[in-house]
Amino acid sequence: MLELSNITKIFRTELIETHALRGINLTVNEGEFVALTGPSGSGKSTLLNVLGTLESFDGGDYKLDGTSIKGWSDRELSNLRNEKIGFIFQGFNLIKDYSLFDNIELPLRYRGMAASERKRRVEQALELVGLAARKDYHPSQLSGGQQQRVAIARAIAGQPRILLADEPTGNLDSLMARQVMELLEQINAQGCTILMVTHDPDQARRASRQVQIVDGMLSDASMYDPLAVA
Amino acid sequence: MEQFLYYLKVSSISIKRAPLPYFLTILIMSVGLGVFFANATFYYWLKHDPLPGKSAQLFHPRMNSNPNLCSTSCEAPRVLSYRDIKALTSTDIASASAAMYSAEGYAKVKEQQPATRANIRVTQRDFFSMFDVPVLKGAVWPDNETRMEVIISKAFAQKMFGSDDVVGQSLILDDRFFKVVAVLDDWGMFPRLYEPAHGGYLEPDADLYLPLETAYDLNYASNRQSQSFEDADFQKLATDGRTKAIHQLLLWVYLPTAEQQQQYRDFMNNLVQSEKAAGRHPNANGNLLHPMNGIMQAYDAESQEVKAFALVTALFLLVCLFNASHLSLNRYIANQYEISLRRALGASRWQLQGQMLADVLVTAGLALLLAVLIALAGIALMNHLLPDNSRMASWDGTLIGGLVGLTLLSAYLVTLYPALRASFGALNQQLK
Ligand SMILES: Nc1ncnc2c1ncn2[C@@H]1O[C@H](COP(=O)(O)OP(=O)(O)OP(=O)(O)O)[C@@H](O)[C@H]1O
Ligand SMILES: [Mg+2]
Repeated sequence: MLELSNITKIFRTELIETHALRGINLTVNEGEFVALTGPSGSGKSTLLNVLGTLESFDGGDYKLDGTSIKGWSDRELSNLRNEKIGFIFQGFNLIKDYSLFDNIELPLRYRGMAASERKRRVEQALELVGLAARKDYHPSQLSGGQQQRVAIARAIAGQPRILLADEPTGNLDSLMARQVMELLEQINAQGCTILMVTHDPDQARRASRQVQIVDGMLSDASMYDPLAVA
Repeated sequence: MEQFLYYLKVSSISIKRAPLPYFLTILIMSVGLGVFFANATFYYWLKHDPLPGKSAQLFHPRMNSNPNLCSTSCEAPRVLSYRDIKALTSTDIASASAAMYSAEGYAKVKEQQPATRANIRVTQRDFFSMFDVPVLKGAVWPDNETRMEVIISKAFAQKMFGSDDVVGQSLILDDRFFKVVAVLDDWGMFPRLYEPAHGGYLEPDADLYLPLETAYDLNYASNRQSQSFEDADFQKLATDGRTKAIHQLLLWVYLPTAEQQQQYRDFMNNLVQSEKAAGRHPNANGNLLHPMNGIMQAYDAESQEVKAFALVTALFLLVCLFNASHLSLNRYIANQYEISLRRALGASRWQLQGQMLADVLVTAGLALLLAVLIALAGIALMNHLLPDNSRMASWDGTLIGGLVGLTLLSAYLVTLYPALRASFGALNQQLK
């Protein structure tokens, strides 16, 4: 369903040009759980941002369900982000003075969905992440793991087909990380395609496929042993 | 609608996050707007067209009928003599015409009463139809002949008789008996452009209207402008006033069509020609025909201070808006993270514009409230310092509409630039 061909991305600042992505070719099929690994600065977040259309790309083509998104308008891209893609950030990115309910409801608000349907979806998502009882809490009243589960609930409340997660467990201790992983596996089992950036080889192994990026290019996973680097 | 309520909720939450800078923004905007409103109110009334649609068809003729050859100032005098009036109204080109001046007298209802000072407008029949004066009771004079009949304002009727139903009753004016033939309804032509010189346009309308011929017979002198170009006695209007160059009359003629206006100009020129032929008009033709809607400029009656002050308040408003915009930019930059997050989660720029509109409305609403209070305080202060100007203190629909519009525009300007800067920034930067 996702097809990247020869994607390049260059960051230009006054002093330097950084070639963050140098010709990425990647196809992800419906229902896959892909783990994206690679050393720091190799371009993982950039790739995920390009996939999530949070970042434009300079060269190559990005096809979604066979259609290139090149030249799409702001409106089309925001619809895509709103309806088809769920994004989980490493830093949770919850709004601190909004309740859990309001945080999760936020993307649904931009979809013109009836209030009752929004409520149903938010409650369903909260149920799934095991925080139904705390919908009126504020993020600061939760642990890091719980906050990340709220962020996941926000990402899946809109029932996206693709979930993009940038180091979703990076800020969590191992117990909480495992809970979040289990949650993602559960979501994947329900049919949602997942692309996850991770540094943790155990997590990467649990994915259905591992893709490794080094210096802006995909490389054969076998050539890169994260343990050797660590 | 529901979406808009959501936008309003988002606005109010973001205000609560940093209330102080927000209210400082509002305060700065309101001070600028309030000062501007106060002055705009004054300016608006000064520039107000008292007879929309008609003021371009009412004309004030002037002629240089000075019997002496002028040496320095050769502009036609602003007031005309009785002879000029007779000559200028000896045609039926104008649909209506009335000569006038202002005088004063002392009125009472019963002989043994103390008299009350009355502002008198000496004028002619057409005055009332020409300036759309509403007649409450009775009827105005049928012609311009001498008659011992007065027309009084509703307020004066109330003051003198305790009622406005007084047509047919007598009023003693300067110890002579007059019959009240009409009571005028509240009128308030403002500014009173028919009396443009010397701040006359700001004064209230007369209490009492007296026929011109009667006033001349009874020697009611003008209490405003009068000029004499030959040896004559101002007190003897009945005689000298009618024959000599005693100038104290203002004439207004109603010329609704362009054709009439041209005819009247030609008529005035012919008049000068024939006067010259008779050896009476020694000066060059100095005829003028001012339309009412240009009378202030023609008389150079607009004060330069008023203009300068209007400019100052406009500049002050700009400075305030600039500062408010700067404060507002800081607020949006603080919120940029949230804006990027909303974009990342699927809000389009269009939807963020909706959010911005809600911000504008909230800001405009609060700023309007405060600005109106500041403006009212400013107007109260001006009325206190310049009581003469207090008739210029009220707000009508146009003015209120303009003020609301200006506030919305200001709120939009103060919000627009910062919001655009925040919503067009790179998305991912903020979300690391
Ligand atoms: N906005 C930006 N401007 C300039 N350079 C950038 C920008 N974002 C990323 N880069 C550069 O692009 C390269 C790839 O960055 P990216 O964030 O994708 O790495 P990463 O693989 O996610 O690293 P990490 O594991 O540390 O998160 C880096 O060299 C980084 O410095
Ligand atoms: Mg990264």
